[in-house]
Amino acid sequence: MMVPFQYRQLSVVVFASLLTQVAWAADESSEQNYFQEFPVVLTASRLKQPQSEAPNAMTVIDREMIVASGFRSISDLFKLVPGMYVSYYKGSQPFVAYHGSTDQYARRMQVMIDGRSVYLPPISSVDWANLPITIDDIERIEVIRGPAAASHGANSTQGVISIITRDAGYLDGKRVSYTRGEKGINDISARFGRRGDTFDYRMTLAYRADNGYDILTAPPPGKSITQPQVNTLLNNENDSNQARLLNFSAGYHPNGVDQFDIQFGLNRDVQGVGFSDKNPTANANPYHDLIGNSGFLQLGWKRQLDNASEFSLRYYHIQQNQHETVPYFVLNTPLPGLIFQSAQTSRDEIEVQHTLSFSSFNRIVYGAAYRTDRFGGQTAFSQFPVTGFSGSFNSNEYRVFAHDEWRITPKFLLNTGAMFERDGMGHQNLSPRVALNANVIPLHTLRMGVSVAYRTPAMIEERYPVNRFFQFRTLYTGGAAIFRPLFAPGVLAVPDQVVTSPGVRPERLLSREIGYLGQFPNWDALLDVRFFSDQVSSGIHWNGFTLAFENEMSAAYQGVEASLKKSFSNDSDLTINFAHELANSNLSTLFAAGKSTTQPASPWISDVLGASVPRNSASLLYSQRFSKKVSFSASYYYQDSLQPYDRGSVDYQPIQRRVDVRLAKGFHDIGGMDGEVSLVVQNLFNQGYTEYIANNVFNRRSYVTFSLGW
Amino acid sequence: MPVWIKSEWKGRGTALLLLCLFALMSRSSRAEGLAVTLLLSDSSAPYQAFFETLRQRLPASIRLAVQDPAREGNNSAVSADLVVAVGMKATEAAIAAVHRPPVLAVMVPKAGYDSLFLGQKTASGISAIYLDQPWERQVAFLYAVLPDVERVGLLYSSETRLEVSPLLNSVANRGGSVVAQSVQSADRLFASLEKVLSGSDVLLAIPDSRIYNAASIRNILLTSYRHEVPLIGLSQGYVNAGALAAIFTLPEQIAEQTARQIVAFDIKKGLAAPGYPENFTVALNTQVARSLEIRLPSEDEIRKRMRNAGEVGR
Repeated sequence: MMVPFQYRQLSVVVFASLLTQVAWAADESSEQNYFQEFPVVLTASRLKQPQSEAPNAMTVIDREMIVASGFRSISDLFKLVPGMYVSYYKGSQPFVAYHGSTDQYARRMQVMIDGRSVYLPPISSVDWANLPITIDDIERIEVIRGPAAASHGANSTQGVISIITRDAGYLDGKRVSYTRGEKGINDISARFGRRGDTFDYRMTLAYRADNGYDILTAPPPGKSITQPQVNTLLNNENDSNQARLLNFSAGYHPNGVDQFDIQFGLNRDVQGVGFSDKNPTANANPYHDLIGNSGFLQLGWKRQLDNASEFSLRYYHIQQNQHETVPYFVLNTPLPGLIFQSAQTSRDEIEVQHTLSFSSFNRIVYGAAYRTDRFGGQTAFSQFPVTGFSGSFNSNEYRVFAHDEWRITPKFLLNTGAMFERDGMGHQNLSPRVALNANVIPLHTLRMGVSVAYRTPAMIEERYPVNRFFQFRTLYTGGAAIFRPLFAPGVLAVPDQVVTSPGVRPERLLSREIGYLGQFPNWDALLDVRFFSDQVSSGIHWNGFTLAFENEMSAAYQGVEASLKKSFSNDSDLTINFAHELANSNLSTLFAAGKSTTQPASPWISDVLGASVPRNSASLLYSQRFSKKVSFSASYYYQDSLQPYDRGSVDYQPIQRRVDVRLAKGFHDIGGMDGEVSLVVQNLFNQGYTEYIANNVFNRRSYVTFSLGW
Repeated sequence: MPVWIKSEWKGRGTALLLLCLFALMSRSSRAEGLAVTLLLSDSSAPYQAFFETLRQRLPASIRLAVQDPAREGNNSAVSADLVVAVGMKATEAAIAAVHRPPVLAVMVPKAGYDSLFLGQKTASGISAIYLDQPWERQVAFLYAVLPDVERVGLLYSSETRLEVSPLLNSVANRGGSVVAQSVQSADRLFASLEKVLSGSDVLLAIPDSRIYNAASIRNILLTSYRHEVPLIGLSQGYVNAGALAAIFTLPEQIAEQTARQIVAFDIKKGLAAPGYPENFTVALNTQVARSLEIRLPSEDEIRKRMRNAGEVGR
């Protein structure tokens, strides 16, 4: 605890040292202290854009909120973003989507870690369990609500999640932490780092494990389920997860102008996957382990050219290898032998960027990037009378971009930008954006923006393995009734070697918004409100009749989102988020016209997409710091009922409410160490909380964390 | 030296004439004005800027001679009417002389100047124009820039030489408090920094190169930025590096004040009491302010607020 300043102490120090250390006297009382030359440290690219000047609505989750939330997994943090849908297909397979639920492969958002794009082929979704960072490695998360392709590259259609990890020099010492709790929660981490004048580094070694969700022991609340519904209930009890990971980040800054960064990470993840479905059908996905080894290397160089200009170069490589061994059943009878399946995904990207200030009123960022994605997948049958299949694919794309920030007058800020990309399939798209921020009344900012963004079809959407599916059916069911199509055995998706959806094009999103940001210093409050209207055209959807992905879906989303942040004195903070959203699509028209097989799960649902968006959702986070390093925080999450996009009626999600609390006590200077003990209780009131799949029951659980630093 | 004297007059005559000439020159110069010897601690840019401005601002009648204080046996300083010592090194050299003219020390930190006379009540014939700002002005500036500050963070080391009670009083008078954290050693700097930043609304830099130096400034600024705690620096250099604001007096401004004091000395034949610089410069980093969502007042507004707070400097 900080000791309130007592000047007598300092005076003693001041004058005692005068007598004892004459040698220093000349230096320390010299006028040279006022004439020191310093390098420019807070350069334009280091300074984060204030919310009132951002061209989009932005939610920032900072370190304090991360701690106060009590969350162990990164994906859960997005519950603190208005309008965000965070769910889990299995305990080990979270997905994060904006504008309501999607299928379990949310793939309409850009997700970046320190500028490294981590949505990967073949599905273009983020494998949250395979990211080699822990929640404690994160400094801050910026979530852009709305498209931002002009500044964040391809696939920034619905929004952008930008995770900024802690600085190489954030830790000067060592820290160990141990978490133990219910549902097999067992996390251990060791961190060490050094902060120097020219070289900083930090390293994390961590092990994380839990046993996933509880299982449904009774029909979902308020429902008496029928046998056909029980038959569609996914029994996914095998959803434990163990991850062993390492990450390293170092920065070398030999002088005032150059900064070199190196980061790498490794993650080995073993997930329990598969289902024990109750329906007596072909089951190619029984309980088994999915083993993933992933890693990345990122190199960066930034050079300060003069006070107003900066050059940056970044290269990264991501590698993810996964494999699984699956027994195969037909009509509940195990067939001899096993299926062995593996997938290798990699991405290399190089980006060059130049930030240039023409004046203090106008700043431009422009640059170019080139990316190569590779995917290889193999399926082998140990004793099966079919040959295996494999495929390997390359995709090269490039983009050029420019973004200008022009302070027309002190009251008006105009952000304009565009990105031109050529994707791996040869599609060329231009994604422009324009936003005007008006600060006519001081402290109150009005923002109007229009932007267009495109989503490149995922590799699997272009090459859905329909041919393979028929091969299975004719061989093993002999033309008998088939209950559901096989996408692929196991969990890993191996795309078809040939393009099966030759006509599929990028889908387009047009977004319009009006935002208001009000600062109320007298109340220590910040209010952020956004009205939006997003329209998807040429939307990619699955046509089960032609067995291809097509571009005939159109959808519209309208709504309002609000965030209020307020501080009470210096010791407590409150964040409240709220979203009200309506959506509709032409999916029922497409279904009626025989162009889509996506049909409502219940007779009362007229539009699949509309029903998949919770009309209202809210979250609240309150934290309070007491004396003696005691702190308390509580959070509340609310989500209106919804029908998950591609699930059956049994997975209907009723209204969700959940309260989490965290209580912590810190210790300071015990034998040169400091530490903390914290207790987190999630779903404190056991409010029947489920996620996406009816069987993903999240009962009250608690865990304790001990951490020690020196 | 005029060559014809040598050719017309020889031996003793030459010497006599030279002596006469010297006496004549000396007399006439006294009639014209003061002989000032300038001792510069260093030849770097701030000292050059001081010299240039002083030279321009002094009336032509006042003779200005520049001397290197490091040079041994600088007896001509002794023969001057006034020695202006620029910086601590020059000041120490100037006051070391046994028989010396009055000394005006300029561009010296108050703490450094005071340390030269430790144990002596007053030093006669010596005065100073300090380089640093009085605490009251510094605090008035701080509150003009950031009116809502409650906790002012301060890092100090065992080498810090500051009389801080005026700072404490001044902050307390405005309803705030000073959160001070000692830095035990250079490698504990960042632990101390984390501690002070977690309990402060602003970090006030002090002249202590053990804490604030070219090597450490990067981590200090990055850490304080991460904590969203702005740094108030001591110079334009701090602001360029990423400090939110700074109040300081430029060598040129000290030179102008020095010129006025020399003229006053010429009239009164005595030095004014040691004092702080009359004028000051304000530097603001609008980019950092924007990023931290701090609404910076304009420089005029800051000066107005400082005047309202009773701070009379210009």
